[in-house]
Order: sequence, then structure tokens, then C-alpha cells
Amino acid sequence: MSDTSPRPVRVVVLGGGTAGWMTAAATAKLLPGLAEVHLVESEDIGIVGVGEATLPHIRGFVERLGIDEAAFMKATHATYKLGIDFRDFGSIGTSYIHPFGSFGEPVAGVGFHHYWLELERSGKAGPLDQYSFAVAAAKANRFAPPAMDGSLASSYGYAYQFDATLFGPFMRDFGLANGVTRTEGRVTEVERDSESGDVTALVLENGTRIEGDLFVDCSGFRALLLGDTLDEEWEDWTHWLPCDRAAAMPCAHVREEIEPYTTASAMPAGWRWRIPLQHRIGNGYVFASAFISEDEACEAIIGAAEGTQLADPRVLRFRPGRRSRSWSHNVIGVGLASGFLEPLESTSIYLAQMAITYLVELFPVGGKIDPRDRDEFNRLVDLEYDRVRDFLILHYNATTRDDSEFWDHVRTMEVPDSLAGKMELWREAGRVEKYSNGLFYDASWIAVYVGQGLLPERHDPRAAIPREDQMLAAFGKLRDTIASEVSQMPGHRDYLLRESARLADAP
Amino acid sequence: MSEPREPLRNIIVAGGGQLGVLTALALKRAVPMAQVTVVGTPPDPNALADRLGTALPFTNRLHDRLGVDEAVLVSEAGASHRLLMRTTGFTAGHEGFAAYGALPETKLRSRFAREWGGGSRSGSAQQTVGSLAEALVASGRFRPPGPGESTPLAEVDYALRWNVGAYRSLLIGRAQKMGVQYVEGEVASLEADADGTVSAIGLTGGQVLGAELFVDCSGTRGALVSRLPRLEWNDWSAYLPVRAVVLERPGRGVLALEDHAAMTEEGWVVGHAARDGHQRILGVRDSADPAQAADVLGGSAPVAVVPLSPGAMATPWQGNVVALGDAAARFEPLGFLNLDLAHRQLDLLLELLPGREVDARERGEFNRRAELMAEGVRDTLGLYYAALEAERVYGRLERSPALENLLDQYARRGRIPHSEEGALMNEEIVSLLAALGIEGGEIPVSRAEGAQGMHAAQGAFAAKVDAALAASPPYAEWLQSVLAPAPG
Repeated sequence: MSDTSPRPVRVVVLGGGTAGWMTAAATAKLLPGLAEVHLVESEDIGIVGVGEATLPHIRGFVERLGIDEAAFMKATHATYKLGIDFRDFGSIGTSYIHPFGSFGEPVAGVGFHHYWLELERSGKAGPLDQYSFAVAAAKANRFAPPAMDGSLASSYGYAYQFDATLFGPFMRDFGLANGVTRTEGRVTEVERDSESGDVTALVLENGTRIEGDLFVDCSGFRALLLGDTLDEEWEDWTHWLPCDRAAAMPCAHVREEIEPYTTASAMPAGWRWRIPLQHRIGNGYVFASAFISEDEACEAIIGAAEGTQLADPRVLRFRPGRRSRSWSHNVIGVGLASGFLEPLESTSIYLAQMAITYLVELFPVGGKIDPRDRDEFNRLVDLEYDRVRDFLILHYNATTRDDSEFWDHVRTMEVPDSLAGKMELWREAGRVEKYSNGLFYDASWIAVYVGQGLLPERHDPRAAIPREDQMLAAFGKLRDTIASEVSQMPGHRDYLLRESARLADAP
Repeated sequence: MSEPREPLRNIIVAGGGQLGVLTALALKRAVPMAQVTVVGTPPDPNALADRLGTALPFTNRLHDRLGVDEAVLVSEAGASHRLLMRTTGFTAGHEGFAAYGALPETKLRSRFAREWGGGSRSGSAQQTVGSLAEALVASGRFRPPGPGESTPLAEVDYALRWNVGAYRSLLIGRAQKMGVQYVEGEVASLEADADGTVSAIGLTGGQVLGAELFVDCSGTRGALVSRLPRLEWNDWSAYLPVRAVVLERPGRGVLALEDHAAMTEEGWVVGHAARDGHQRILGVRDSADPAQAADVLGGSAPVAVVPLSPGAMATPWQGNVVALGDAAARFEPLGFLNLDLAHRQLDLLLELLPGREVDARERGEFNRRAELMAEGVRDTLGLYYAALEAERVYGRLERSPALENLLDQYARRGRIPHSEEGALMNEEIVSLLAALGIEGGEIPVSRAEGAQGMHAAQGAFAAKVDAALAASPPYAEWLQSVLAPAPG
């Protein structure tokens, strides 16, 4: 067997940001012997590094690479995250948490939210998020790892809030320890095969020539390979997701407790994040440059953020959309080179992770790329992007806000057909279109629909079958159980402190 | 403010076979105050979902939810357990075992993982080195795992077979107790509004029955759907080769934990080893003469020849008429997907159950998913026909892009692409492909892991097998103990 081993594929990763080091680390760790990974980074590519909030899937990535959670959290100053608190999105003065968890449980095959809608007719149900364990824990600023036994305490998951400028370097150290070669230098020339058009080598300023079989473009929005070299078409989604800038600014903690959730507050021309880390709070105003200037946005974030400002606002520019093909020739885009969806639901790192997962699955062992694998990769990546895109657009479109030009625009814009269909099904019947591949399932859609005040016109007829007093009693019991179990959980800061020994001991 | 829709008051289920009765029972449970009436149209001998007393593991879960107890099926409906399908000759000289269920992963069992999808969406499935089911079948030992089972038996999934008559009677008893009405007759007419909403059906005896929802479980004749003005049918004859299914007269009853599918020159032969009789089923291709099939089945006279034009209704829910079972989709019983598909579509109807007025969006969602389910079945059957011997016997068939992609990805990379509403889980597909002798390519990650990962997995697996065997009595012994419990 061993003498038939294919020669290792020379993988050249261009770009040393989060996506670049995640890609290099994962391919080196998961494909030893099959991949020889070389990462080229240069200062002029620059690192965005604002993806501070993550989704639960990141845990799978960290685990799969065999990274110790404590070591990882310590290195990135991470805190736990149970969801996102959205403020003023549906209308000014309203808020809801989109939890990493569910609301109640289906009864007799009918989703919990139908019963909630039924009780809500007489105003007796109270807010839907009272019936989510994750929301209750988040609001109480408490945290404990979920159970695994199918009980109420297993009805949620968690992600991390971390310092993204430390995550990349953490992955770099891990990658280097797992055999990744690193070269620093500016790429001045990209060599291509005259026949196939495949990229054959990168030439650096100092003359170094780095040859490869497979190139991963992690050069961010510059997309040096996928864009500049191969000229892959960019599908622009600004008309649906008009935010194209962020003004990021760290602040010191002001409160005793560390919230185990991210806050997203709507602003006149976008929204503002607040991400509590162990040592500071990350803030940022994601805005649409068509509606507000960079200076105004910087002023706005300085005015809005609490706590001592630790640095001046830094403006980042981005373009919502994706490449028509993320894998073209022997170049694969991961991260911003392949596409960008604004950070409203913390999807950036997930999208990079997703592309890496598919790259590993579809890895061209031996170096020869089969066009069918390329097509499959592009099909999967497109599917993920489209689904996340629709979910993000919902946050803007499901609003009654008309108090600024920006909100008026997103409220009245035409949404993609795929989203319009989902929204109609919800509006007409209180149902969520079902899929099992991709991000964000029923509970997430319900959280946003209900949280933003988009209640359906009709719900399941079976929700009216149980007697109201019995339903109220069951609802009350669920609330009480959640409250009592949450009250047993440690505070988030306490839990981090209690774990600090483990975190400190981490290698 | 969201309003509940006015619940259904009258539901008519056409077809009193095992599917129609279970459908009526399920609908009555879902809307207890509705009048649910089964119209016992003449039984359709060609309706395979009604005729074969077996399904797949999904049905066990559906039964559970509908209060149809497995223990009762064992004691009153002659039920027995099938842990796998043994397959021979789909690739020359190859025998394999297609087992059920997922590879167990504790971290995927939390509710969160199910609802939020933190689980194995990724397509790669490790090639199974065997299954617990295989070890149990080889030793003839098994008992169904109890609630809270702590032995590896908890990880064994299985299908049931039962006696159709006894099963149907049992369901009728339940349905009657719940107040389901029964009318015997043949549908003679549909009364529809201008917009196509059916308001009532007329029976041959002159009786007229009104309802807001009609479910057609009447089999291939489609007592209701055949009378709809527009019936779009997706023809699968280019994808599936069998044009007649020959059913042997059941022989002596047997007790077996496996069923068998074999590829012969005349076509595939499936052996259905039920307690009430072992029956062989032959799939005959276009040009073959069903009469000659008797020879294949060892000269015994076949009990029935079921003609087959494979395909499915493009939109099985039209207006307020929903088709299930053979009224909605027809295909060969390879792998026993017939009643399984019917039950999954019934479950989808229960999930999206309308009120007195049908909502077009809801119907659209049902049809979208039901079509995916049907295509999933067609493509699963396509896996059998992709095996070399099957292809030689039946010829090269058309394949959907999804099937083509799956076979290509599996052959080159050992990868099963995710499919929405697929008939089998990815692990089950891997198991089936291995059973058919279709070789999978190496997964890059396991190739990189090398032999070490494999050895560790094998060691853990061997320990599991030992524990499962230790926890299982001989199957016959177990069955005897439940059928005739020892006194005291």
C-alpha cells in the first residue's frame, strides 16, 4: 500500500489572516502526508481581524484539530456566547435574543411557537424568549456547559467571543507546530501555465519563487488570485445588504459581569456590535456608506460605546456578495476573497470554516484536480452563502422602522425570491421552510421573525385544541423550571474565574 | 395578531388498506374532534405499500408517536425484527450486508445538536468495518433494546415485518375505538368548486360524503386523484427498469433477523422472511415474460404479478386532495421503501396539517418536500441498479444529476453528498453501497490518518460487538419469552 502513496500536494496559502491560518492549520493537521502547506503572508495584505463573535460550529473546528478548549480560550481571551441580543431592529425600543438554542418543545407534533401564538392572542403568554433556556441564562449573565442528556439543560449550545487579532496568531502557532512553512513577502507576480491557465507559482518581491499545485486565496478583499489573476466574477449583494463599512473600537469593561452574549443595536445607518471579551469590550458600527459618512460613523461609535476608549476607531471597508465561483482552476478562495456577508450573525468565521471543511473533503489527493470536485465545492459554497444571505436580509426587512433613510430603504427593498417565499409561508401559516444543510434552522428563524414583530396571520389549528388553563399551567411550569435551573448556574465571570485554573494551566 | 385556523371538521381517507387505516388513525389523533371517515374502496392488489407488511426504522418512530406499540405488534400482528438486508450477486461473487441506523456519536445526541445542526452535516462517512447488526445476525441473537438501554444494543436500529391482515385489524380496532368512521364503497364522482376545491365525493351506491380534506390512500387506481382535472406524473421508467413484480405464494413461516436480496439473470429476487410465511419477490424487466418467472422462483406458481409503471405525482397535494402511498408514487419493493415513503409523506402531512381551508404556501411546502422524498427513493433504488451485475442484467439506466454526483463522489472520494429528505441516512447509504459491492474511494482524512486510526476504531468496535452479543439472547428464545411469558 505504502509505495502507492501519492506525492504530497503543494498547497500554497496566500494571506496570513484568520482565514489563511485556519486553512493552513487545518489542511496541515488533517491531511498529513497528503498536503505540504506553505503560507505566504505580507504586511501589505493586512488583516481585518474583527470576527470576534462566533457560532457554535467553531467548537467542532477546534475539537477536530485536537486543540484543547482551555488553551484556545486562554490564548484568545475568550468568553462564552449563548446568542445575540438584537436591539431596535424590528422597531425602536424592542429587543430579543437570538439564542443558540430552542424555544420550548413540540407537543403532539406541533411546534411550540404555535401554542405560544395561540396564547399570545389573549396576551397571556409573555415574550417568547422566556421559554428558551439559553435566553434565560444569557439574560441572567450565567453560564455552564450544556448537558448531553436530552433534558432542558441540553437545549442549547455555545460559541465564543474572542479577540480575533489573537485567534489568527493562535492558529499560526498551531499551524507552524503542525508543519506549515511560512514565508513573509509581497507577491509581485503570479505565474500561470500557458496552456491550462492554472497558477504555478507566486513570485515575491525579493525574487523568491514559491511553486504550488493548489493555491488558497486568503488575501481578503484584494483577492489577489481569484480576483486579480483569474478575474472571477463578483456577485454584488449591496442592494440587499447595504452595509459596506465598519468602524471598530475597543473599550474597557464598565460592568462587573461579563455578558455571555453579543449585543447588536440598530443604528440610523446600520447597527453596532458590542462583544464582551475577558479583558475588554469590542465595539463597532457597521454602516452603509451610502447613508452616512465615515467620520459621522466614527463619531457615532465614540458617542455610543460605553467604557474608556482603548483606541481610535478603525474603519474597515467591505463589499457584501460572493464570487460566482470560489474554486476556479487550481485556486480556492477562503474567507473574504470568496465572499463576504456582514457580521450581523457572526457568520464570517463559520463561512471560512465551512469552505475549509469542504476543501478537506474534496481535497485533490495527488494534485490532480477533478473538475467534478471543483463543481461540487462551488455548489456547496453557493448553497451556504445563499441561505445565510437570506437570513441576514430578514433582519433588515422585517421591520416597521421608517425613521431614517437607511431603514426606510431596507424595509421597502425587494428581497430575493427565495426569502420572499419563506416569509410568505411564515406569514400565512406560521411555518418555517425546512432544510437540513446550511446554517440556521427553525428556532433561529422563529427567534428573528417573532423578535422583530413579524407575527404570522395564522397558526396551526391544533394549537387551539388544548384547554387554555392547561396550556397556561404547562407554560408556567416551563418558565419556572427554566428559572430555577438557571438560578443554579454560576455567573459567567464566576465560571470563567472558576475555570481560570484550568485556563491558566492550559499548555 | 395570529389566529388559529379553523380546525378540520371532516376528513375523508379513501382506501382501507394498512396505509389508509394508519392515516385515518393519525389524523384522528391530530384533530380528535374532526370526523374522520375511511372509505373502504376495493383493495388494490397492485398497491405495494398496502400489500407488503414491512417498512424501515422510520415507521417504528411513527408507530411510537401514534401509540402503536411495538410489543403489541410482536404479540398480535406477527411482527419480527429485520436488522439488515443481505445482498448477493449485485456485483459478481459479492455478498454484503446493508444495516440500518447511524454510527452512534454521543455528541450528536443532545437536543441542541439536532435542532441547531451542530452535527455531522459533513458528507464524509467512514466506511463501516461491519456493523453490530451483522454480528447479531450471524449469531442469531437479538432482543429489541429497552428504554434507557445501556448496552450497545441501544445503537442497533431495525425494521419490522408483520402480517398485513393482523396489523390492519389491530389498527382498525384502534381507529374504531377513537371514533374513526368506516364506509364501504367505490368512489364514483368528485364534486368540486370552481377553484378546484373538492367539497364532496359520491359513492357508487349514491351516498355523498362531504369533507374539507381528502387523502387518497386507495393505491394505484387513485380513486380520488385520478378524477382531478390535472394530474402531472413524473415518469421514472428511464430510471427504473422493473415493469412487473412477481410475488410468490408465501411458504412456511420463518424466524430470521435478516432479509435477502439477490441478483439473478432474470432479475433481482427479494426474500421476505416473515413469521407468517417466507415470500420471494422477483423484479421482472420490460422484455421478460412474467410467466417464466415461476421457473426462477423454483417452479412454484407465482401468487400474483403486479404490473409496474414507475413514477410519482409531481404535486401529490392538489387543491385539498393529498395522495399517499401507491396513489402518489410507484416503484419496486427493493429495500422495502414503499411503505416507508408513504409513512414519511404521511408524517409530512401531519407536520403541515391544514385547517378547514388549505393554504397554498403550506401546500407548496408539502409538495416541495414530498417531491424531494420521492426523488430520494428513486435515487436510492438507482444505487442497486448501479451495481455491475444489476447493470448487466437490466442495462444502463438514466441517472439523476444527484445520483450521478453521489456515485462519482463515493467512487472517487468515499464521500456521500448531503441530500435533503433523502430516503436513507449517509451511513446507511455507505452500508448499502458496500453491500452491493460498489467500492468507495478513500476519504482524504482517513487516508492521512493511515492504519492507526483504523486499528483504534476496530478495537473499539470489537469490544462493542462482544457487549452486544452478551446482552442478547437467541432471538427465538426472546420471542418465545414475550409470546408466552413464563408464569410468575
